[in-house]
Amino acid sequence: MDLTQPSGTLGAVTAPTETTAPTRGDAAPRWPPYDPSPLFDELVGPGGTARPAAEALWEHFARLGPGALTERQAAADREIRAIGVTFTVYDGGVGVDRPWPFDIIPRIIPRDHWQIIEAGLVQRLSALNLFIDDCYHDQRAVTEGVVPADLVSGSPNFRRECVGVDPPGGIWAHICGSDLIRDDQGFWYVLEDNLRVPSGVSYLLENRMVTKHIFPEMFRHYSIEPVDPYVGRLAAMLASVSPSTGDPTIVVLTPGIHNSAYFEHAFLAQQLGVELVEGNDLVVLDDDCVYARTIDGLERVDVIYRRVDDLFLDPEVFHPDSMLGVPGIMRAWKSGRVALVNAPGAGLADDKKVYSYVPDIIRFYLDEEPILWTIPTYRCSDADSRAEVLDNLRELVVKPANESGGYGVLVGSQATDEELITAARQIRDDPNRWVAQPIIQLSTAPTLCEEGIAPRHVDLRPFTLLGPDGAYVTRGGLTRVARRKGSLIVNSSQGGGSKDTWVVDAPADPRIGDGFGTGSDGGVATEGTP
Amino acid sequence: MTKTSTAKASMTDITTDVPATAGDTTDDAVPERADEVDGERSNTMLLARMAEAVYWAGRHLERAEGTARIVQVHTDAHVDMPVGEDVGWEPLLAIAGVDSEFADRYSEAEDADDARAAEEDVIEFLLHGDGNASSILAALTAARENLRTARPVIPREAWEACNDLWLSSTDHLAEADSREGRVRWLRRVIAGCQRIHGILLGTMSRDEAMSFLVLGQNIERADLTTRVLDVRSDSLHPRGADDPYDVVHWMAVLRSLAAYQPFRRAMPARPQGDSTLRFLLQDDRFPRAVGACLTEARAHLKSLPHSERAQEACQNASMVVASAPVARLAERGLSELLEDVQSALVEIHQCVDDTYFRPVFVGWEPAAAIP
Repeated sequence: MDLTQPSGTLGAVTAPTETTAPTRGDAAPRWPPYDPSPLFDELVGPGGTARPAAEALWEHFARLGPGALTERQAAADREIRAIGVTFTVYDGGVGVDRPWPFDIIPRIIPRDHWQIIEAGLVQRLSALNLFIDDCYHDQRAVTEGVVPADLVSGSPNFRRECVGVDPPGGIWAHICGSDLIRDDQGFWYVLEDNLRVPSGVSYLLENRMVTKHIFPEMFRHYSIEPVDPYVGRLAAMLASVSPSTGDPTIVVLTPGIHNSAYFEHAFLAQQLGVELVEGNDLVVLDDDCVYARTIDGLERVDVIYRRVDDLFLDPEVFHPDSMLGVPGIMRAWKSGRVALVNAPGAGLADDKKVYSYVPDIIRFYLDEEPILWTIPTYRCSDADSRAEVLDNLRELVVKPANESGGYGVLVGSQATDEELITAARQIRDDPNRWVAQPIIQLSTAPTLCEEGIAPRHVDLRPFTLLGPDGAYVTRGGLTRVARRKGSLIVNSSQGGGSKDTWVVDAPADPRIGDGFGTGSDGGVATEGTP
Repeated sequence: MTKTSTAKASMTDITTDVPATAGDTTDDAVPERADEVDGERSNTMLLARMAEAVYWAGRHLERAEGTARIVQVHTDAHVDMPVGEDVGWEPLLAIAGVDSEFADRYSEAEDADDARAAEEDVIEFLLHGDGNASSILAALTAARENLRTARPVIPREAWEACNDLWLSSTDHLAEADSREGRVRWLRRVIAGCQRIHGILLGTMSRDEAMSFLVLGQNIERADLTTRVLDVRSDSLHPRGADDPYDVVHWMAVLRSLAAYQPFRRAMPARPQGDSTLRFLLQDDRFPRAVGACLTEARAHLKSLPHSERAQEACQNASMVVASAPVARLAERGLSELLEDVQSALVEIHQCVDDTYFRPVFVGWEPAAAIP
C-alpha cells in the first residue's frame, strides 16, 4: 500500500501470531462457554481460555453461574435508573432521557499495557498542543514543511480570532478524550483525538461506582487502579490556568438542560464543587472580565470549563444568533482575564487530516518517535492516494475530514453499490473533504447478551489532562461496546453500551506479545516495552 | 422604596418556575456593582438561577407532601362520617385551588343525578390528573426537574432520593385507583418527601442554597395551612360548636396538617375552632403553624444578602398573624384574615423573586437584548 503517511512505517509490522495455547489445562471452567475466534478478544484467548489478567474474573463467573449474572445485571440497571445516570437521545426533535446502558462484565487491561498507553497519550497531547500554539503563531510546522499550509489556514476549524493569543502555559487543549481501538491482532491504535468538548468521563466514573456495588467481592481478587482521582486532577488543572492569584472561581459552562451531555455537565460541576452556568448566567463588562449573576450581585469568574462549542461561545464573534454563549467572552479570553478550557480554536488539531500527520507532528516538536500508532490514512486531496482509494473503496472506511462524532462515515465492506458510487462521486467532486483508512476489525470483549455471554466489539475512551503543571491520564477509560452482534457502532446514541474498565496489576498475555508492535521497524515500537 | 407593580401571582399558580419576563423587575434592591465586588472574594457563590431552582424545589416538595397528607386524612375522615353527613370530596379541590380546572375537565362526565363530584374523579385529578398542574405527580415532577437543575448545589443523595420517589410514584400510578392502593401510594409520597428532607437536613451545608430551599418550603407550608383552614372552616360555619361532628371536623383539620398530636400536647382544650385556629396560626413551635413558618423564613432571609425588603414583608405577615383575634375568628372574619395572610405571603415571594431571581445589574442588559 502506498500510504500517504509520510513515514510509511505502519505497513511493516510484524504481527504477533496468536496460537491456541492451552496454558491452563484441565482447570479451565466449563462455564461460561465462550469462544471469540476468529476475533481478537480482550479477556479470552482462542479456545475459550481466559487471559491471565481475566482468570480470576472468569473463575468467579463460573462459580456464580448464568442466573446470578443476570440478576446482577438487573440490579445494575435498577441502580443506574435510581441514581439517574442518563443520556439524552433525540427522536423527532424531542430529547428523551434514557438510562445509561451498562454491561456489568468489566474489561480488563494489564497495567504494563496501560503504562505504555499513558505515556503515548501524554506524548500525543503535548505534541498536539505545541502544534496548535504554533498554528496560531509562527506556523513553523508549515514553513519547515512538516504540514502543508492548507492544512492550517484552510481548515474550517482554524479560528482567525485566536491568532497571537497566549493561553497560560501555551496550552490550548487541556482535556482530551482519545478514542483507542485494538485490531484483530490485538494492536492498539489511536483512532481519534477529541480536543473540543469531549464527553464521557462522568460515565466512566459512574460505571466504576456501580461495579463496586455489583461486584464488591471482585475488588478483593484484583488490585484495580482507582478512577476517582480524575476529579481532583481536573480541579487542580483548572485552578492552575487561573489568571488571578488566590482561590480561583471556576465554573462549568453548559448549553443547558436539553444538551445531550447535560448529565455530565451537572455531574462534573457537582463533583468539582463549582457552579454550573449557562450563557445567560454570565456577563462580560467593560473591564473585559467575566462575571456570574449570583444572589449577591455580579461575581468575577476566573476559569470556565466550557462545554459549549467554539462557534456558539460568543455571539459577538461567532454565530451572532447563539443564545448559548456569552457576548464578549472572546474579548475577555484574549485579554487574559479569564481562562477557557479547552481554549477556542483547539479543535484545529483533531480533524482527520491533521490526524494523518500526527506521527510527524510528534517527531517535529518533541524529537521523539510516536509511542502509539496512528491508523494509516489516505488523503484524497493527493492524486495518487485518491486513485488508490477509488480503486479499493470496498476495503476502506471513508470519512469526512472535518466532521466529528461519526457523521458521514462509510464502511466500504458494508456499503451498497449505490452508496459506493455516491461516495466515489463525492470524493471526485471535493477530494479535499475526504480521507480513507483501512477497515480495522475491532477487538471484542465478553458481553452479557440475550443468548448469554457473547463477544461484542469495543473501543476505549481514556481522558488526558494537560496543564502547565503536568499531565494526567485516567486509569483506564470508558469502554464502549456495540451491543448488536458483528456491529462496529459503539455510540450510545446508536444503541451502544458501556463497560467498566479495570487497569489491574496482572501480567499481559504472553501469547500476544505486548500489543504495541515490539520489534517492528520504523519507530512505531513502544518505548519502555517490558 | 417603590413597590413593584407586578400583578400578584396566585400562590397556587406554581405551574411554572420560569420567570414571566425580565422586564418585571423593580429598580430598587439593585445588587452592588461589579466593581464593588473586589476586595474579599470567595470562591463559593450561588447563581441566581440555582437559587431559584432550589427555592422552587422546596415549594414543590412541600406541596406534594402536603397534598398527599390532606388527601389521605380526608379519606380516613370520610369513612368516619355517617352517610349523608359527609362533606363530599369537593373540599379537597378547593384546598388545592383547582376547583375550576376540575370542573372544566370533568363537567361532562358528571352524573346528572348526583351533582357532587365523584370520589374517583377527584382523587385521580389531585393525584395525577391531566390538566392539573398542581397535582401531586406534577409537583413531584417539577421538584425533580428543579433539583436536576440544582444538582451541583444539593447533595447527590437528595437528588437520587427525589428521582427514586418520582420513578416509584410514576411506576405505581395504577395502584392509586383503589382506596387501599391509594393509601399505599400516598404514604410512599409522604415518606419519600420526608426522606429527601432528612437527607438535606443531615447532609447539606447550611449555606445560601439551603436557605432558599427552606424559604420555599416554609412559604408553601404557610400557604397550605391557610388554605386548609379557609376551606375547612367554611364548611363548618353553618353548624357551629354544638354540632356533634364539630370535634371530628377540627380533628381532621389538625390531622391533615400532621398537627393533631402536637396540638394535644400543647393545648389543654379539645380541638375546637378557637383553639385550633390559635394553634395553627400563631404557634411558634409547631413547624406547620403559619407563625412558625414565618419565623423560620425570616431567620433564613437574615442569612442572605440584600434581604431587607423581603424581611420586612415577612415581618408584616407575622404581625397580621400575631394580631389576629382568634377567639372570635371562628365565628366571623376568618376568611378575610386568611386572605390578608395569603397576600402577605405573595408579597414575600415577590420580594424574593425581585431581589434574587430577576435582579437588574448595573452595566448589564439581558442577553436577549443583544442583536
